[in-house]
Amino acid sequence: MTTVLSLDHVSKSIGKKRIIDDLSLSVQEGEVFGLLGPNGAGKTTTIRMMVGLMRLGAGDIVICGDSVKDNFERAIKHVGAIVENPEMYQHLTGYQNLVQYSRMYKGITKQKIDEIVELVKLKKNIDQKVKTYSLGMRQRLGLAQCLLHDPKLLILDEPTNGLDPAGIREIRDHLKYLTREKKLSVIVSSHLLSEMEMMCDRIAIIQQGKLIDVQTIADQQLEEKSTYYFETSDLGKKLLQLREKWMIALKGEGFIIDAEKEEVAKLIKELTEADISIYLVQKLTKTLEERFLEITGS
Amino acid sequence: MFNLIRNEWEKILKKKSTFVMIGLLILAIIALSGILKYVDNNDESTGDEWQADIQQQIETDRENMEEYGGRQLGTYYQRNLAINEYRLEHEISPSVESNVWTLVDEAKMLTSFIGLFTIVVAAGIVAGEFSTGTIKLLLIRPMSRTKILLSKYLTVILFSLLLLAIVYGLSSIIGVILYGFPPDDAVHLAYQNGEVVERSQGLQLIITYLLYSIDILMLTTMAFMISAVFRNSSLAIGLSMFLLFVGNTVANLLAMQFDWAKYLLFLNTDLTVYFDGMPTIEGMTLTFSIIMLTLYFLIFHALAFFFFKRRDVAA
Ligand SMILES: Nc1ncnc2c1ncn2[C@@H]1O[C@H](COP(=O)(O)OP(=O)(O)OP(=O)(O)O)[C@@H](O)[C@H]1O
Ligand SMILES: [Mg+2]
Repeated sequence: MTTVLSLDHVSKSIGKKRIIDDLSLSVQEGEVFGLLGPNGAGKTTTIRMMVGLMRLGAGDIVICGDSVKDNFERAIKHVGAIVENPEMYQHLTGYQNLVQYSRMYKGITKQKIDEIVELVKLKKNIDQKVKTYSLGMRQRLGLAQCLLHDPKLLILDEPTNGLDPAGIREIRDHLKYLTREKKLSVIVSSHLLSEMEMMCDRIAIIQQGKLIDVQTIADQQLEEKSTYYFETSDLGKKLLQLREKWMIALKGEGFIIDAEKEEVAKLIKELTEADISIYLVQKLTKTLEERFLEITGS
Repeated sequence: MFNLIRNEWEKILKKKSTFVMIGLLILAIIALSGILKYVDNNDESTGDEWQADIQQQIETDRENMEEYGGRQLGTYYQRNLAINEYRLEHEISPSVESNVWTLVDEAKMLTSFIGLFTIVVAAGIVAGEFSTGTIKLLLIRPMSRTKILLSKYLTVILFSLLLLAIVYGLSSIIGVILYGFPPDDAVHLAYQNGEVVERSQGLQLIITYLLYSIDILMLTTMAFMISAVFRNSSLAIGLSMFLLFVGNTVANLLAMQFDWAKYLLFLNTDLTVYFDGMPTIEGMTLTFSIIMLTLYFLIFHALAFFFFKRRDVAA
């Protein structure tokens, strides 16, 4: 696997305030990498430093082998980005906006522009002025703008901001297509946890400018034991035996238990044989949200 | 670089305000031509007795010079006297019939309009991108910030040249339509280094236009600098406009009292005095003014590029 982007002990202070504190991470080829953190955590600031809008306070950022400090023009060539909202020239049409950006790279043909417009499904509105666009259309144009030059790395700051569920789903599908088919790497930031869980392969949790943890999403699904909640009739004498054998803990109208899938089947059989009614069996997955809140202690 | 200038040019020309500016300028030229033609038709005082008139003028000027001939007025009378005496000597009548050059010459006062419009464009071209946030998508390209700022500056200069060309070209065309081609003997009398010289009017006008643009160039550069440093177009427009309108007056007032006033930008922008007239403060030379202008120009650009390159974009 090749590393597309790496942050090496990056820090940034504005005034006396330390906004980013010794942040190190790396993103691999074909990976969707999430930056997750509450408002004001420093996600946008980190992204601004990646794309050269802000200078690094300390440390270095390397994109496809080129440092943004020493070799900015070469490093940024591989990057397509949206920082916060995709602000475009309101008095130009969507197409004219794309032409503007295409002139800043070598060899982007008209055909290429049309192809991208098709991809983001903006063909119908591309010749309207941007000031007439809805937020969703603006996001699409923003996405088109970062794909023009076939970048290796996409950096999207809150790409689903303000989109409806269908729009969010569409962005997710785009990202899937781009990473699987075109081997792009993507960095997305968000404070919406559930959404990140669906989009990303790995997620870095940032709080107050510090890296708290990096979670791999795939790991979670491979976990062997899960927690189940059983709602049953009175356990009576069976309780003691169950406690010893399965280490259950009473809760609500029943109990909870840590077990593998097969064990759950066995337990159900055992309960039925002991003439205990089972009203409900529920798997309690610890969502990223819970972990996130756990980790950040809020 | 060419593509960057093309981008900037497209962004300016697609703006409504640009159309309004160019429209206003064209209207102003047409109105000016109309007024001049009207005044001209009512003015029939061109007689044969111009020699007597001039003799009369010379005498009043002499008296005035003795009475009020201070630092500035003195040079003014000196110039008038010299030119009038030259006229008598060489039999050059002052009131040559109005011709195309008359109109082009009058139209030069529209350069202050051009100054105004160019300042507005220069003030907006950098600061505007910060206030709309479009600067972010512009700076994340494989282009250095220096190139991006330079392309913006060159576009502003191109824009002012376009406006100048519109004024010069359109007033010439209307002039030819209204008055026909000029007579061959139309000459301009200029007062240079204490001597009177004859010049062709077409040439004199091109020089005048170029010299008038120096004012515009300097103020535009200043507006551009403020725009790049403070990222605030209102500040850039306000300050530059203020200086455009009162800078000259204030500088001239200071010049009457203090010698150091010669280092002020505004006492150096009007180079016409070295070609046709007298400098405001004695001892100022063309070379001195050019050096001062170059210094101001370089300082403005040093500031603009330094801050634009260095500062974080948090728009
Ligand atoms: N120009 C600035 N001057 C001073 N402090 C700033 C500046 N920009 C950002 N900050 C501070 O830096 C911290 C991180 O801001 P940042 O915009 O990176 O957060 P974020 O993670 O993107 O938040 P959000 O989820 O709200 O977008 C905040 O505490 C903010 O107050
Ligand atoms: Mg943010």
